[in-house]
This record gives sequence, structure tokens and C-alpha cells, in this order.
Amino acid sequence: MVKNKKILFIIIAILALIPIITRTKAVLNAIILLLIFATLGEAWNIITGFAGQTSFGHAAFFGIGAYTSTIVFYRYNITPWVGLILGGIIAAVVAAIMSYPCFKLKGHYFAVATLAVAEIIKQIFVSWDYVEGATGISLPIIQRSSGFAKRLFYLQFNEKIPWVYICLVLFTAVILLCSYLENSKMGYYLKAIRESHEVAESIGINPTNYKLYAMLISAFISAICGSMYAQYILYIDPFMIFSLDISMKIVLLTVLGGVGNVFGPIIGASIFIPLSEFTRIKLGGSGTGVDLMIYGLLIILITCYQPKGVIGIVQKLTEKSKKTNVGGEGKIEATSGN
Amino acid sequence: MKSKLVLLLAVVFLTTSLLMGCGAQQQAPTETTEETEAPEEAEEPTTVETVRIGAILPLTGGAAATGVKLRAAMEVAQDIINGEYPELAKVPLAKEVGLPNLGNAKLEIIFADHQGNPEMAKSEAERLIEQGVAGLVGAYQSSCTKPASQAAEQYGVPFVAGSSSSAALTERGLNYFVRVAPNDDIETAMFFDYLIYLNDKYNADIKTVAVAYIDNEFGVHAKEMVEKWVKEKYGALGFELVGVVPYAVDVTNVDTEVQQIKSLNADAVFHASYIADITMFVNKYKEFKVAPKAVLNYCGGFQDTQFVVNLGSDSDYFAGGAAFSAEKLGDMPELAKINEFYKAKTGADLDGPALEEFSSVLVLAEAINIAKSLDGDAIIEVIKNTKFDAPYYATGAIKFDAKGQNEILASYMVQTQNGKYQAVYPEEIATAEPVVPIPDWDKRN
Amino acid sequence: MKYRRAEDSPLFTKLKGEEHMIIAQIIANGILMGFIYALVSVGLTLIWGVMDIINFAHGEFLMISMYTAFWMFSLFAMDPLIALPICTILIFVIGVLTYLGIIRRVINAPGLTALLATFGLSMFLKNLAQFLWTPNFRYINNSMVSGKTIELGSIVIGVPQVVAAVASIILTVAVMLFIDRTRTGKAIQATALNKNTALLMGINTKKIYAITFGLSGACVGAAGALMATFFPIYPASGALYSVLAFVSVAMGGFGNIKGALFGGLIIGLAEALGGYMLGTQFKYAIVFLIYLIVIQVRPKGLFGW
Repeated sequence: MVKNKKILFIIIAILALIPIITRTKAVLNAIILLLIFATLGEAWNIITGFAGQTSFGHAAFFGIGAYTSTIVFYRYNITPWVGLILGGIIAAVVAAIMSYPCFKLKGHYFAVATLAVAEIIKQIFVSWDYVEGATGISLPIIQRSSGFAKRLFYLQFNEKIPWVYICLVLFTAVILLCSYLENSKMGYYLKAIRESHEVAESIGINPTNYKLYAMLISAFISAICGSMYAQYILYIDPFMIFSLDISMKIVLLTVLGGVGNVFGPIIGASIFIPLSEFTRIKLGGSGTGVDLMIYGLLIILITCYQPKGVIGIVQKLTEKSKKTNVGGEGKIEATSGN
Repeated sequence: MKSKLVLLLAVVFLTTSLLMGCGAQQQAPTETTEETEAPEEAEEPTTVETVRIGAILPLTGGAAATGVKLRAAMEVAQDIINGEYPELAKVPLAKEVGLPNLGNAKLEIIFADHQGNPEMAKSEAERLIEQGVAGLVGAYQSSCTKPASQAAEQYGVPFVAGSSSSAALTERGLNYFVRVAPNDDIETAMFFDYLIYLNDKYNADIKTVAVAYIDNEFGVHAKEMVEKWVKEKYGALGFELVGVVPYAVDVTNVDTEVQQIKSLNADAVFHASYIADITMFVNKYKEFKVAPKAVLNYCGGFQDTQFVVNLGSDSDYFAGGAAFSAEKLGDMPELAKINEFYKAKTGADLDGPALEEFSSVLVLAEAINIAKSLDGDAIIEVIKNTKFDAPYYATGAIKFDAKGQNEILASYMVQTQNGKYQAVYPEEIATAEPVVPIPDWDKRN
Repeated sequence: MKYRRAEDSPLFTKLKGEEHMIIAQIIANGILMGFIYALVSVGLTLIWGVMDIINFAHGEFLMISMYTAFWMFSLFAMDPLIALPICTILIFVIGVLTYLGIIRRVINAPGLTALLATFGLSMFLKNLAQFLWTPNFRYINNSMVSGKTIELGSIVIGVPQVVAAVASIILTVAVMLFIDRTRTGKAIQATALNKNTALLMGINTKKIYAITFGLSGACVGAAGALMATFFPIYPASGALYSVLAFVSVAMGGFGNIKGALFGGLIIGLAEALGGYMLGTQFKYAIVFLIYLIVIQVRPKGLFGW
């Protein structure tokens, strides 16, 4: 735990320092998206990494959160902070309803079921007039001259820097919760369920209940991320928010970083998001698709050479240095090993 | 041990962020420490060598085919502005090099790709604004134009939309946003007027109307406008909306949809469809021998010249609103020249959306030239108060109303006849008579 | 706003004579479309069942095959049906290369890594197509079968769809026979059941995996050539079918070829009939709903065990 806390502290310190080093909007934008998606990855990790239930439908919770805070603000002029919590609760309720029939499914059948639920929810939102259907909602913008307190209250900023810190606080809270969960009784139970449903059951764990708790927490966090995202972009429509792309992005970046490890999502996100932003910024204007070709190729290369996720490198290094401490001849070993 | 970990993480964070920082800086070497509020104010108008504007388009993803064409059209505009073309004297900025009032500064368009994703449209808009662009053009899909123009509004940068057609765009009360294309509201009214014209002059006897639309913001708006106009005006003139057939985005087949259209048996079908869907629809119309008296298309797939290339003679007799018809080139030498440049780039004739994006670049550049400044407020002031010459449009001019909508209708009705887009309405500018009703499929040659 | 159709929607009124014909037509369309989905799903279910890998680039293989058919047609005036063997072989080779170049390295990694790799591949291929051939929409409108129809009473059936449906049945049966009757097929089955045991029995599992990937590619290659006669071709055209193919594979049971065929048919019928009854915009939502219902009754798919 102590070791983990130090790493966490370093990550947060680096992210917190970036706005001081550069104020380029593209960089800050990438950092904000990175933090939102890293947080989503953490949420997804709870249900998939810890409990072993692959979800391909987290865009559903993300979207419910985004829509709740937006609607609450758009229709009733209530601060998004209320919508944020409300969205989390609604997403958790939806998660509970969908979990009931889905949890008896195993493996990919569960994964496709979550995907199906997300697609159905998307279609509901597309056809639902109360949420402006397919047209989407542009959030009402508060006056440019408003003071910081009012801006914070309505979660709208002229600058990107407040967003960096808000997302950083959210991410820190979530990662602390996750590392707490990982080492709690519940974390161990979930891992037992992941390894073997039957064995877990035989030692008196109720898998359905614990998977449900994991799902609720995961949905709640995802919805909060959704609210943040909607407030940040200031426009939502069902196609962007419930898209399969978002569900898959969450999955892929966590896999890239390392599934089942609390640092996986942040490592994955800090490669995945800047990589996609960077290739697009550099080459996207050409209209030839070269940017996404390179992006795809880099992902293939990373996976081929680091199939356990980038966290694998970290673990390898850790093991190496452990050996160094014990054996004393680490240098030779390290060079030959690499 | 920890040092290695720290090193790794630090490297990951810093390289990625620095790479991006460099990316932004390379394109904007002058602009590193400036405050974010108004980057353009720091520049001296008289000394600029290049005036940069940003273009946000869907250059990859589902709408890439269109995005790439729009990019080519904008490049043609850029070439015309930067080069000397005495033969295009009537086109603003064509005969002199660059922008004469700014010391013949060259215009540079920085293209950005939003992949059809509103999030990326917004972040690309912000990035371009930060790089000091004097204005923005784009973004084709209305769902992307919305957040992008919101960002432009926030930083006081003018946004000239070319072809985004959602009526809602100009209803948001934005001060820095204008749009060249007719919105779907105006287009719907034109469709009904065209039907009245067909009824009066050709005894087409069209009374019932159905709408087939893609279930996204483009289609839903089009449908709403038909409902609105039938209720407000055209219902009283004898038109009836007998049904609507929405279909899902990314539809894989349209069999059921066509069956529904067939069973509605409407005299005229309005289509709000993209190229992939409309191709499938035409194919199925043929297969199931569905031939309404008229099929009218909102600005979308039908206007793409690939429609005629792909479907050959099956594409005949469909109609739609467009700002361009290759058959009008004989009367419009400027347009013919522009089309020539465009054809050299893409191998195809211009189409409505491409011409609209072309004109959006010209409008923005001319406004910068008149304003003699890169200041957003000065430029938008000019844009809103000037009547721009547009000899490449049948109507010859562009003028924005208080909401930012181009009040001079740039488009007219075209109908495909023998693989060509013929202008058929209004009568004054028609290049051919409309064919109505559409002949049955087995009576076509 | 109320439409005339709303009142006499088939849900609320008794079917009139004409309505019967429309329903029959829609069922015919649904079945034909179902065979197309089955065609795409067969290849996917093979890899999924044997290697437990979700091939995200499956739709892109389809797209490349469609482009191959298109270029054969426009450059050499070769009809897509004649170019079918070329497409099949080409995608077979691409499949084998994908295994050797990428999948081999990630197959032993935890769960979803292969998904990430195939995602990268799909991104790469989709944009390679745009890079090489522009994002323009292509269409083959004068092949041997395009535009031809068969009329059975008042039901109209397109010849391209019929050809695709027949080919889909032949292909499914052929793959099933291959798996059941040949030595290689039996080795594939053994590997699917338990890789390590198969290895102990002297089966070269690496070779088997390569063949499976190639075979899956061959199936989707054939699908592409057949579909090229009646669908628009563009870089993102394959992706449309991937998600539906996932659902049809899951509905039939992973690795079950017969299941993929029936899964495809159910999806085709569900979207056609459901779309007609409840509104065409809901047709994919209905498909997903039906999956959720089926999976409640048969948690391992229709033919899973």
C-alpha cells in the first residue's frame, strides 16, 4: 500500500504540474479527456478487472450520467452538481435492473448482453422527445462575465485549467476508492469470483450480490464521468454519448494499461488519448486517414510486444529491481535479461 | 526500484504532452506565451504575411467521402484567393494576390479532422483558435458544427458554416456564427413550392407527401420542418403528410423501409438521406417497383455526384435542392472556371455542399480583407453588414440576416436526367423541363 | 402529429388482403437478409469458438473483400461472382498473415488483449482503404445479377440476395462438413475443446489456429464478393455488419456454425418484421432486445451447451 501511494502521488503531481508547464489548449484538452477516461477505466476495472465480468456497454452509464446532469440543468436550471449525483444514482438503478438478468450469463455472452443493453438505451434516447431525441442538447451558456463562484456552481469555465483540477480531484478520489476496494474484503471476494465462480460460492461468498455491488459502484462512477464530459463539451447527442466507440475506448485503454490493476487505466489512458489526439492533430488535416493508420499500427505494435498491458513493463522492472536488491549483481542480469 | 517506476511514468506523461505541445507550436511558432483570451489582437494587421483560417471537417470516418471533397473545394478557394486570376474578376479577391488590404497577405487554411465526433469538433476548434486563426469554417455535420461554433463564440472568433443545414444552428442566438447554405426550413418551403409548380404547370396532381429520413439530427429536423410547413401553410393548399418512415443510422438494408413507403403510396417522397442510404433506397425502389410521382432530396447523399456514377441510369428523375448544377456552367463562366479547378483536384464536378463550403471560405476571406483586421469583432461586423458578391451562385450574392442565416436562397431544384443534374426550378434559371411523374421502372429504357 | 398510417398500422387493425402480401414480402426480405448476416457470422463464430478471440477486424476483412470484388469488376470487367474465388483466397491469406503477424503474439495474453490488437488492425485497415482508394462510395450496378428480380405472385425477390442466400447455405454446410469430416476439421474441434490436450495428442495447434483464422477469412471473403453485388462499398462499410454479426454469433452460441446461421436468420427476420410493426428506426434495438430474451432462455446461445 505504501508503495502504491507513492506512485499515485507521483502521477497526480505530474498531472497537476502540467498546467503550470504548458497552457496549450490541445495539451490541456488531452489531459482532461485523459483523466475522464482514466476514471471511466477505473470504474470499468471494478466490474471487469476485479470481478471478471466483461462489460462492453459502459457507454450506457456514461450516457445516463451525461444526460441526467444536462437535462436537470437544461430543463430546470438546477446546478449540474445535483445532476451529477442524481445521474450516478439513476445509472446505478439502471445497472441493478440490467444486472439481474445479465449476471447469470458467462463470459462473452455477458459482454454482448451489456452491448445490447447500451444499444437499446441509445435508441430510447434517440426517440425520446423529452431529452430532445436525436437533435441533441446544446447546454445553455452562462454569461461570460460571471464570477468564479458562479462558474464553479454551474460547472462552466472559460479556461481549461479548472477542468484539469476538477477531473484530477475526481480521478484521485476514484483511484483511492479503487485501491481501497482492491485490498478490502470485497476486493478479495470479487477476485475469488473472477477466478472461479463455483469455488467462491462454495466458500460462502454470494457471487451475485458482490457482482451487483461492483456493478453499482462502477455505474455510479461512470455516470459522474459522463456528467463531467457533458459539462465539458457543452453539447451532447445520443450518437456521441452512447456510442460503441466510447464503450470500446474504455475497454481498450484499460487493456492497454493492464486489466485488474488500479494503475492500468491511468497508464493506458495516458498513452491512448494523447496518441490519438496527437496523430490527429499532426496528420488529421490531410484527409487521407494516415493519422488513424499510424494510430492503429502503434496499437498493434504495443499489444504485440507488451501483451500484458503496459503495466507489464512496470512489473518487469519491479521484479528486476527486486532481484537487484537480493542478488546484488543486478546490472549484469538486467542487461542480459533485456 | 521506485526511481525506475517514476522515470517510466514521467517519460510517458512528458513525452506525450511535449509531443503535443510541439505539434501545436510548430504550426504556430509566434504564439507561445500569449494569453488565451484574444490571441489575434496581439498581431499587427498591416505586417501579417499570411492570414490563417481554420477548417474543421470530417476527414475520416463515415462521412469522410464528403469531408474530403469539401476540403478540395476549400483548397480551390484558397488557390483562387492567393493566385492572380483576371478571368475571375467578378469573384472577390480573385484578381489580386492574397488579401490586398492586408498587404497582399496570403490566406492559409489549416485543416482539422473531427471524424464526425462532436467532442473532437470542439477540441479542434479550440486548438485552431489557439493557433491564432482569424475565423473558422466547416464542419459539415450539424452535430459537430454546434459545439465547434460554441467554442468560437466563447473566444469571439467568427464561424462561417458552409453546408450544415440544421435550422437550429441559427436559432441559438450566437453572435459570431453565420451560415451560407439554406437551412432545412427554407429548403422544405422550396420543395412545396416546386410541387405546386409541378401541379400547376404539368398537372402532376401531387397531393400526398411522405418523408423518409435518417433518424439523426439531420433527418429529424427535416421531418419536423415538413410537419411545420404542412401545418402552417401547405396543408391549406391541399397537401397532406400521409406518413413518415424513419430509419436507423448505419442501416444495413432498407427493405422494410421501402415496403412502408410503398404501402403509404404517397405522390411525393421527401428524402433526408446520406449517400450510402439513398443508394440502397434507389436500388430497392427499383427492385420493388416503387415509383412515386416525385422524389425530393434534402441536401445530402443525392447531391453527391457519386450518386449518378454509382447508380447509372437508375439515378434518373430524382430531384433535390442544390446550389450547383453542371448544366448551368454555360451561363456562368466564373462557376465553370471554379468547377474546372475543382475537377482537376478531385476528378468530379462540384456539388452543392462543396460549392457552399467554397463560398464560406471566400466570404470569410473577403470579410477579413474589408475589415483590414484579424480581430473577430471587426470581421463579424463586416460579415453581418455586407452583401457579398457571389457570381458562382445563380442568385449572385450572399447576405446574412440578423440571426446569421444567408437570406438569399443559394439553391434551386435540380433533377437527374440522363445522368446529369439539370436545374428545373425556379423557371427563370431552369436548364431543362422537369420530368413528372417519374416513369415506372419497367417503362424506363 | 398524427399520420394516416398510425391508425391502420398492422398492430392495431386486422390484416387486410394487401397487408398480407406486404407481410409475406417482408418475411421474404427478412430471411434473405438473415442469410447475409449468417454469411458474415460464420467466419466470426469460427475464430470466436476455436480461439476465444473476438476479431474486431472481421468487418474490415469483409470490406477488403468487397473492394477486391469492386476492383476486379472495374479494372478487369470480372463479375463479382467470378471473382469470388479470388476474394476468398485473398482474405484467406490475409487471415493467415494476421494470425502469424499479430494474433500469435497475443493469444496467450490475458483475455482482452487480442481484442485490442484486432481493434488496432481494424483501425489500420479501414484507414488504409481510405488512403489507397479514397473514401468515395463505390457501387457495382451492372454485374450479372444486379437489378434482376424474381416474382412469385406479388412477392418480389432480388436475384443477388437469392444468390447470396444459396451461397450462404452452401458455405455453412461446407464449413460444417469440413469441421466434422476432415482430419484438419477434427483437429480444429479438438483444439477448440482443449488446446493443451490437443497439443499433447500431437496436434500442431499453431498450424490449426492459422488455418482457423484463414478459414474465417475465406468465409468472410466469399461474403464480401457476394455482397458487393448489392451493397455500397466504402471504407466503413464492413463495420456496419460487425456488431450485428457479434450478436448473431452470441445468439447462436460461440463457435457453433449452425448457430451462426440461425442467429443470422433470427436477426434478419426480427429487424424486418419488428421494424415494420414497431417502427423502422427501432429495428436494431429490436434485434438487441431479442438477443437479451433468447439469452435468458438459453444462456449459452441457441445451440450452445
